[in-house]
Amino acid sequence: MHSDAKALHRQARKWPTFLLALIFFLGLWNSTAQPRSQAQDMPAKDPAVERGRQQFGQSCGFCHGPDATGARGPDLVRSPLVAHDVKGNLIGEVIRRGRPDKGMPPLASMTDEQVADIAAFLHERAKESLESAGIPRAYPVEKLLTGNADAGKTFFNGAGGCKNCHSPTGDLAGVVGKYSPVELEARMLYPGRRKEGPRSTALVTLRSGEQIKGQVVHADDFVVSLRDASGWYRSFSRDRVKVELQDPLAAHRELLDKLTQADVHNLFAYLASLK
Amino acid sequence: MLSQFSETIKTELLNSLLRIVGVPFALRNARAAILLLFLALTVCAPFLSAQGPTAQGLDPAALLKPATNTWPTYNGDYSGRRFSPLDQINATNISSLTLAWIFPVHIAEIKSTPLEVNGVLYFTTPDNVWAVDARFGREVWHYQRKSEGDHIGNRGLGMYKNWLYFTTPDAHMICLDAKDGTVRWNVELADPKLGYFATMAPLVVRNHVIAGVSGDVTDVRGFLESLDPDTGAIQWRWYTEPDPGQPGSETWPKDSDALLHGGGMTWMTGTYDPELNLLYWGTGNPNPVLVGEGREGDNLYTCSIVALNPDTGKLVWYFQPSPHDVHDWDAVETPVLFDAQFQGKPRKLLAQASRNSFFFVLDRTNGQHLVTAPFIDQTWASGVDSRGRPIAKPEAAPSPDGVLVEPSSDGGTNWMAPSFDPQTGLFYVNSRRIFSVFYRTTEGKAEGWGGRDRNLWANSTLRALDYKTGKVVWNHELGRGSTIAGILTTAGHLLFTADNSGNLLALDPAAGKTLWHLNVGGELVASPMTYQLDGRQYLIVPVQDILYAFALPDHVATPRPSSR
Repeated sequence: MHSDAKALHRQARKWPTFLLALIFFLGLWNSTAQPRSQAQDMPAKDPAVERGRQQFGQSCGFCHGPDATGARGPDLVRSPLVAHDVKGNLIGEVIRRGRPDKGMPPLASMTDEQVADIAAFLHERAKESLESAGIPRAYPVEKLLTGNADAGKTFFNGAGGCKNCHSPTGDLAGVVGKYSPVELEARMLYPGRRKEGPRSTALVTLRSGEQIKGQVVHADDFVVSLRDASGWYRSFSRDRVKVELQDPLAAHRELLDKLTQADVHNLFAYLASLK
Repeated sequence: MLSQFSETIKTELLNSLLRIVGVPFALRNARAAILLLFLALTVCAPFLSAQGPTAQGLDPAALLKPATNTWPTYNGDYSGRRFSPLDQINATNISSLTLAWIFPVHIAEIKSTPLEVNGVLYFTTPDNVWAVDARFGREVWHYQRKSEGDHIGNRGLGMYKNWLYFTTPDAHMICLDAKDGTVRWNVELADPKLGYFATMAPLVVRNHVIAGVSGDVTDVRGFLESLDPDTGAIQWRWYTEPDPGQPGSETWPKDSDALLHGGGMTWMTGTYDPELNLLYWGTGNPNPVLVGEGREGDNLYTCSIVALNPDTGKLVWYFQPSPHDVHDWDAVETPVLFDAQFQGKPRKLLAQASRNSFFFVLDRTNGQHLVTAPFIDQTWASGVDSRGRPIAKPEAAPSPDGVLVEPSSDGGTNWMAPSFDPQTGLFYVNSRRIFSVFYRTTEGKAEGWGGRDRNLWANSTLRALDYKTGKVVWNHELGRGSTIAGILTTAGHLLFTADNSGNLLALDPAAGKTLWHLNVGGELVASPMTYQLDGRQYLIVPVQDILYAFALPDHVATPRPSSR
């Protein structure tokens, strides 16, 4: 769930590769910062899944629950038999023969099409369970709107110190439409993960007293490099120069240490109210 | 050559003996003893050098010795300390360190720690095993077996006599002939169709090959098992969740299938105390991962450190760093074993810097809790209970509107190797500040994860901890982002790791100051290791998909710094 490849790779340790690929294709990747488009967010449902959902609800839901997560009968979303089934080849036999020893009656009249639909539905449910490890890009804004916009506005203009750098009619104008709700909330808290995010500036003082200022390209314990005012790349060994770094996101980081959960929700409610 | 060889043996044996008699802690008071040992070894040298290795397999006795000319198991030895008694490369000559060779694999990031046995390195990436000449960096053989399943990483191998043990993305265990990489046997550990896979380096304890499994996108039951090294037959299997009705099952809801779908993967290599004959293992998060409703209770033995009898797989004691976890904070980080003073008494200790950002010290004979302290900022716990367990704030649980928590699901640390240096008495851990918003996204009965967190800002820092209190003694910033670099300490008064800018670092383990660095053009995503062959100490560092070997130039290495 992370844009940097390392973190993505690490978090993905528990993800089957096929699923990763699938989620990329479905556009569910929550941290892709593309303009929101509801049409892209919803994958086309296989009609067999919908038919299967109805059939399952009528014939099986009483014992297995309408969502197949179990009731009197077992949870079929986590069923090993469903995991091994291919297009109903195992599920069909259980449906038609039943499990008399466990109190499941046979449904011998079920047609091949009905079995295939139920299998498609159960596989879809298992897939939804796997996909629950990602935040859908279409995650509705209503779920995030538990705060008080007025309190958020007060925080924005007061204790939060947001207005020192941001303005609802300036840089924040139109920001609501640019990102998915979850992405907007993340960027509200810390906008620095994207490459286009604001960069640190460095002021380098040479031993001669000459000063060079510019946007930081790289900084570690040993080297600082920047693009100077003329656009040229320059690098310095840190043990030979004095370096002052100015990070425009420092205030965001300081705020992360102070925010309460209520502050987060209030501030988001205020931000979401800006049109 | 011969005299150099016997010198090496002497140095290594001396180091071994010093370790065995506990000298590193009392080095200054033991000069007379060292001189006596030197004299004894000089007299014995002709006999010792005649006992040089002839067989190419692993002498089982090597597993019980400090790693010097051999690095026979994932952590180098059973203790998990990642402290090497080698000191040819040391604080006074580190500036002369130079490249010995480079071995690029061009396939995937190397997350394994190589084994080194009789001059051959054995290391892995998912689906791949290499045997490489440890002196010259040339390939001896390469084994490849393509498989389905999660290819997130592979941590390395276990070895027993002439046989290597390798786990795979489709949750198999494969036994290879170390001579040529041919397959001796291949067994399935768990059903990959149910979501299991395997990444860990098996741990060999006498005639037990101990294997753990991975996989938490589905709600399956974690386990650890022991295989027969010759046949792959199961000797025992210990399930992370107890059977219904057994002790521990009361920490799960009754009349529900939660217990048997409770997760708790065993995906990192544990440690072992040969004297106590106890195996120490960390277990992963419970399932469903971010949703605790439906699995009310502590959820034993998930997110736990367990002590098992390696011959029977029976639980001897447990300690749970994260009761009823809802943040994916696996407690699989290495349970590091060392003997040291605690409150005026010598104790057999176990220490873990856990993914939930807390450092724990236990008495490893019985699991008695001694220390609990956060090693980095965290916002999820309100305090520590009488049993030494952090108390989770209810409001830090994932919610539909998102909850801001530090650390993220990636944790205050993760699987990268920590280290304990007996010379400084400090415990080292690469740690991160990561803020994240945890969303519970599913409604109704959760299955799998049931939600996810969205990472915000991250920053990394190496922390040196006083094991007696958990307090931070020194701090070395590693830069923006979240490190997964491991740590190695050595008797040469060096700590090896890497920062987040592609620099390998050698630090002073006493104070954290940088003594040497090199931009290697990529990140360390595994842990450094070291060994000495023919009188030359090698430092091996995997950097992404390249194995780097460093050593001292001959003119620096030859006048040994033993007089230090």
